[in-house]
Amino acid sequence: MPESAWGWLIITYLFLAGAGAGAYISAVACDLLAPDWSRSLARAGSLASGPLVAIGTACLVLDLEAGLWEPWRQIYLVGNLSSMISWGVLVLSAFIPVAFLYAAALNEITFVGRIAKKYLFLLEIVGSVLAVATAGYTGVLIAVINGVPFWNTPLMPVLFMASAMSTGLAVAMIGAAIIDIRTIKTLSNFALGHVIFLAVEVLVLGLLIFMSLTRSVEAAASAMILISGPLSPYFWGLVVVMGILVPFVLSIVEYYEYGEMPKYLVVGADLLVLVGGMSLRALIIYSGQPPQIV
Amino acid sequence: MPRYGIAIDTTKCIGCHACRVACQNQNDLPVSEEFNRIVERERGVFPSFSKEFIPLQCNHCKDAPCERVCPTGATYTTAEGVVLVNPKTCVGCKYCIEACPYKMRTLDHARGIVVKCRLCIDMVREGGTPACVSTCPTQVRIFGDLDDPRSEISRFVAEHRAQPLRADLNTGPKIYYKRS
Repeated sequence: MPESAWGWLIITYLFLAGAGAGAYISAVACDLLAPDWSRSLARAGSLASGPLVAIGTACLVLDLEAGLWEPWRQIYLVGNLSSMISWGVLVLSAFIPVAFLYAAALNEITFVGRIAKKYLFLLEIVGSVLAVATAGYTGVLIAVINGVPFWNTPLMPVLFMASAMSTGLAVAMIGAAIIDIRTIKTLSNFALGHVIFLAVEVLVLGLLIFMSLTRSVEAAASAMILISGPLSPYFWGLVVVMGILVPFVLSIVEYYEYGEMPKYLVVGADLLVLVGGMSLRALIIYSGQPPQIV
Repeated sequence: MPRYGIAIDTTKCIGCHACRVACQNQNDLPVSEEFNRIVERERGVFPSFSKEFIPLQCNHCKDAPCERVCPTGATYTTAEGVVLVNPKTCVGCKYCIEACPYKMRTLDHARGIVVKCRLCIDMVREGGTPACVSTCPTQVRIFGDLDDPRSEISRFVAEHRAQPLRADLNTGPKIYYKRS
């Protein structure tokens, strides 16, 4: 397998930006739909989203070469609006401050938070749009590349969006358990979210693999690397079983047992979703194959 | 303004790698970086078979995917149709390396920028030919103006129905191949 020009830093960015954006949407959904009993989940999601996306963006910057040593070069990054990276820079520059402001507003941190609280609903609407753009952008970034046929499909942003929602919800749920362990019972309500997002994710992932097998020789080669090639133990083990199936079953049990499931299983299911989300990004980047040119 | 390209006759290539050496020397490249490489392919089935050497380099695409995805606009196309990288504005994000379907771009770790075949444009503007063209002992490569119907390259492409590699990718490559 030829080496990808992108490595762990970009993979970490793809994961963190998705999880951070998903956590933001989870927080907004909780605050708008059930502000009385999902308070700790909304707080955790809002507090996590800004830092996660900011760390992810730092990974992007660390992956630069000359742009890292001579940071003033980064000013050129918005120079070409036919490049997805230029759009990404604009989206991230807008989303990160909004996410921090939302965390301050929802948790009433300092005077900034008290002022921002007056515009909470506006922050929720604008921030949600930017969060969808951030999560979708991680998929579009690689979907527009015809140099890697496996990535070059509109299914990619949909898959990353579904994964962003489930990993974001997992981040918010883990955070809620950290903030207040007693809320672990109410977390059962959100297990339904995991069931829905993981179902969508497995459906889109299945479609991506099946369609890649017939789309082109190179896309098929990438899909084969994942399902039966050198990366297949990671694909089946980390993504499909640990990242999707196990948390899917646990979430169904959690939803029906309503608050009776052991704490470590509740948090464990969320951790598995995170492992699966990170592995999914890594495997998609590493299985990319260039077109056969000769 | 000319539209420069190269026609490559793989049936003449003996796989000596002189073009690669000339290119490395001309561009002062370390072993880990290459603008020019030769892929070997076996054709046919025993006993009717042969080995084909296919010299590869940047195709200087008309609609270059690398130029489209470059966020800083560091990748640009000159009036002669040569795709170049401005070393002053490249940040080294490597998006172009991922986007190039021909995988003909390489990272210069020392300078932190992406580098590629320049079609030896400085020598060409002074009336010369690219180093890979002039150094080839079997004259595999023909350099010239694709817009001039009387040029050697245009006549060669027309006569042998030479085709670019993977023209179906719609990037408008300007390196033509005669492969049989």
